[in-house]
Amino acid sequence: MEDRTYLSIAYIGMIIGIGIWTWTVVSRNRRLASRITAMEHTLKVKHDETEATVPLNDDIK
Amino acid sequence: MRERKGELFLIAGFTGLVTTLFLAFNWVPSVNINAFESPEAQRIFYWHVPAAWAAFISFSVLFAGSAMWLFKRNELGWKLHIAGSEAGLACGLIAVWSGCIWGAAEWGTPWDWQDYRLNSFALLTLLALFLVLGRRSQPDGVESRDTFATFGFYGFVLVPFTYLVTRIWVIRHPGPIIAGDDASSISLEMRLAFYVGVISFTLMVIGHIITSVQITRFEQRINRLQGIIDGE
Repeated sequence: MEDRTYLSIAYIGMIIGIGIWTWTVVSRNRRLASRITAMEHTLKVKHDETEATVPLNDDIK
Repeated sequence: MRERKGELFLIAGFTGLVTTLFLAFNWVPSVNINAFESPEAQRIFYWHVPAAWAAFISFSVLFAGSAMWLFKRNELGWKLHIAGSEAGLACGLIAVWSGCIWGAAEWGTPWDWQDYRLNSFALLTLLALFLVLGRRSQPDGVESRDTFATFGFYGFVLVPFTYLVTRIWVIRHPGPIIAGDDASSISLEMRLAFYVGVISFTLMVIGHIITSVQITRFEQRINRLQGIIDGE
């Protein structure tokens, strides 16, 4: 295979991989943010009340 | 705005990666055609080395986060552990993949099992894979966090080892071409394109770490809200 073609395929593979990875992270971030907004609105709780650290379980302390 | 900071870094990093790609193909001169089996394949260097650099940043974040969790029980430490392992896996895979592409073109084989640098870097990437997959398959708890943080903490020893190995044992992987000795100097165009790649990958990995920390924080808030719904 011609060198530049070979290199282009390699770069395309990587840029698609990075794009998918980035898009997965960003879309998950946005999805969770909108879910939190909806839950807080439904439960009528303030943003600050849910911002506190969540204890894992009792033995963490 | 604060919640979009990570995305801004990601956009800047991704734009820089595309710019690096353009420079690598259209602006940077070719290497000496007599010095390489496949001179064009060398252009993968502009992503390969910056990806490895970004992986080292990620593993440093993983180390710091693991230490913060192990010694201080710090929640931010745990979030950094998660972010560092995920970013380390992604950047490590890019570095390994691009290295295999170059090796196949230049050496005629994508991998050399006798080269210390290749294998120590692959071990680092496998460590990140173990941490990412292991955490997803285990319930979140103190014991599982301690186990994964211990691996993240002690696994960091591979980072300085991997960095130094090509300076000590040059087997097949090329020696350092930036910050190496005088014989390793490269042209100004190559150097500039390389630095654009390094800055882009650094921005990219910072964006991913910020966003990943935020995702973990959101997940914890959702757990808290779910607790309110369940009446806990």
